[in-house]
Amino acid sequence: MRAIAFFSGTVGFAVKIGLLAVTNAIAVWAATVLISKSNWIALVVLIAATVGIDLIYLSKRAYPAKFLVPGTVFLLAFQVAPILYTINVAFDKYATGHVSSKHDAIEAIKQNSLSENASGTAYTMAPAHAASGKLVLVLVDQDTNKPYVGTPEGLKPLPAGSVKVNSDGEVTSANGYPLVKGNELFTLDKALSNYTVPVGKGAIRPQGLDTAVVLQQTLRYDPRTDTFTRLKDGVVFRDNGKGSFAAASGEQIEPGWRTKIGFANFDRLIHDPLVRSPFLRVLIWTIVFAAVTVFSSFFLGLFLAIALDKKGMRFRRLYRSVLVIPYAMPALLTILVWSGLLNDKYGVVNHIFHVHVPWLFDANVAKLSVILVSVWLTFPYFFLVSMGALQSIPAELYEAARVDGGAGWQVFRRVTLPLLFVAVAPLMIASFAFNFNNFNNIYLLTGGGPTASDSSVAGSTDILISYTYKVALVTGKGQDFGLASAITIIIFLIVATISAISFSRTRALENLA
Amino acid sequence: MTTIEQVEAAPAQRVARQPRRRRPKFKDTWWRHAVGILALLFALFPAAYIISASFSSDATLTGARLIPRHITLDNFRTLFKTNVSGSSSQASAHYVHWLINTIIVATAVAILSVLLSAFAAYAFSRFRFRGRRMGMLALLLIQMFPQLLLVVAIYLIVLKTGDVFKVLGLNHLTALIVVYLGGAMGVNTWLMKGFFDTIPKELDESARVDGATPAQVFWGVVLPLAAPVLAVIALISFVGTVNEFILASAILQTPDHFTLGVGMQAYIDQKYAEHWGPFAAGVLIAAVPVVLLFVFLQRYIVSGLTAGSVKG
Repeated sequence: MRAIAFFSGTVGFAVKIGLLAVTNAIAVWAATVLISKSNWIALVVLIAATVGIDLIYLSKRAYPAKFLVPGTVFLLAFQVAPILYTINVAFDKYATGHVSSKHDAIEAIKQNSLSENASGTAYTMAPAHAASGKLVLVLVDQDTNKPYVGTPEGLKPLPAGSVKVNSDGEVTSANGYPLVKGNELFTLDKALSNYTVPVGKGAIRPQGLDTAVVLQQTLRYDPRTDTFTRLKDGVVFRDNGKGSFAAASGEQIEPGWRTKIGFANFDRLIHDPLVRSPFLRVLIWTIVFAAVTVFSSFFLGLFLAIALDKKGMRFRRLYRSVLVIPYAMPALLTILVWSGLLNDKYGVVNHIFHVHVPWLFDANVAKLSVILVSVWLTFPYFFLVSMGALQSIPAELYEAARVDGGAGWQVFRRVTLPLLFVAVAPLMIASFAFNFNNFNNIYLLTGGGPTASDSSVAGSTDILISYTYKVALVTGKGQDFGLASAITIIIFLIVATISAISFSRTRALENLA
Repeated sequence: MTTIEQVEAAPAQRVARQPRRRRPKFKDTWWRHAVGILALLFALFPAAYIISASFSSDATLTGARLIPRHITLDNFRTLFKTNVSGSSSQASAHYVHWLINTIIVATAVAILSVLLSAFAAYAFSRFRFRGRRMGMLALLLIQMFPQLLLVVAIYLIVLKTGDVFKVLGLNHLTALIVVYLGGAMGVNTWLMKGFFDTIPKELDESARVDGATPAQVFWGVVLPLAAPVLAVIALISFVGTVNEFILASAILQTPDHFTLGVGMQAYIDQKYAEHWGPFAAGVLIAAVPVVLLFVFLQRYIVSGLTAGSVKG
């Protein structure tokens, strides 16, 4: 009761005001940062949240809100917001080559479509400053020796003789345009590589620091019809509604852009054979992995509980406390240890048994290995749970069964097992849901490998969650955030279904009362 | 509370009811011991090799024998004295860094997440308000979307917040802590509400009659009564944080900011031959305190676990 006294009256009030003051101070500081970054949407959210928090904690009522706000703030920011974001991305074409806006993609295509013309003119070039201080290019046509000045607005001829070129073919001076020299020249590298002087149907682009060439556009963009036309053969590329310009033949121009494509990502999982077959393979393996892990662990744990939890048996307590060690050790580290023990070259397992089994490098053996390790991690849990459940079965039931003439095995099958299942089933379902998403067990042991025969991103031991991780974040075969988010939503639906079954069994919902 | 009391009480009653039987004859139990020894071998085999490898002078995996020829502390010295370099970065980091980072993150998450979910559970257990049912159902639904599924979205969000507030950006422990706290409420609130519901309401009502505010009831009555349960949940949350890999590896980028799991993974990755000895020593140091805590608190942890959460 001392705590009540401590938090009563002035002290409690002071603590509350102090915490509120700190919160507001942080919010004010954050607001200044947001203003300096002109991030207005975030600023509005911040102000609304801060004012809301102040109102709740200064009001005399609103008790539930006072207790719910702290957790809810974090929940919204790092759980709900990511969920909404994931759902949003699942309906997007958002992948390597489809990351920016349409406007950026059009500009990028225009830039990329410039190519050197066979008969194109080459210029001796020197970067210089105009009177305004802006960067310009002093250019001398290498065939005709006529001097020009090039700006992003276009090409302007200069009076003959106003630009001097030495015998090495370098521009040495230009009247009215002081040349950029020395170190400053090298700092211009990036500015120069993006510098474009439009001429006719193409553009003059610098090639290095002292030459420039005329590049011709191979594609022309028409903003009125929103199409690209290939000048060579007149093929028209239209916005295909999936984030790319595509020709009637199906040919597409890189890059595309990020856009809403409805259920197309989900559609690919069903209809695109390149996506469907690895997805189905991984889905089936995920279910097999989780189910085999849970059932093997349960029966091993149950068997050990029956064998070792015998009243009055010697060493009973020792067995009981030592067998939970695999469960107690940090799983993350023990999985890494197992990956060392099962290593085919240096691993202890091959060493003791004098064999050369590729535990982690053969598709089928690797599947056995990941199940072996996950059973090793899981059986102590079911050992503990089964012991508890066995003890809670009333002895009277056994006596009744014996009176009715039941033999040992019969009693076990007809009495023990059904009663045990009632108690353990919800835990098995929870364990199934956990192993369904047991990323560490797969990723740290085999990395999802070895590579499967269809050589997709998905390896032979990849489960849905590690497959998703690779689709989204592992570069090499291209990242696809849209597809990864679509798979995430499917995983969610599966886990939600499993959990719903579990909750309806345990009747946890009755707690709502 | 009742859950634990029941678990404790049940075996006691049984013992009291039945007269103590004589120890069964070895003739009847030998097969049980055979099973037990096999099970012990299976359960302890990796642990035994970790202990032996960490004290062995012969640090390579190939030469590993269960009883090392020379017992030495060289592996521990290597672990603590030299800088072990991370996987890809030029920076190098120290095992001690990883240990400290892990303790900081896991302690902060354990304490704060228990507090946050205790607040919420108290509100759901003691108040009747509009949206209560919806709120609890929403939590149930949100909890089915584990944070590890959201790693891509969380990565992109942290990338953005880092532009504005450095400490909440990539490669900051604070960012990792607040991300974990986002997942805290969904996991623990239901469990704790169950415990709070078993604390008699008359207790806080009498305190209210004496003029205590709800905050005073929470800190003074409910929290002290639920303390053992909260401690177990905090411990489970601590171990769960130590075991978390995917978010930590996405957010933390340089070896000096790694947590233990991310650091050890980078350290041993593809280098089993060279790094096995110090790696084993590092695993041993990290595992011993956790295992001891677990063995001592086993009874409480198991009752907490069977109440519905699965250790990560």
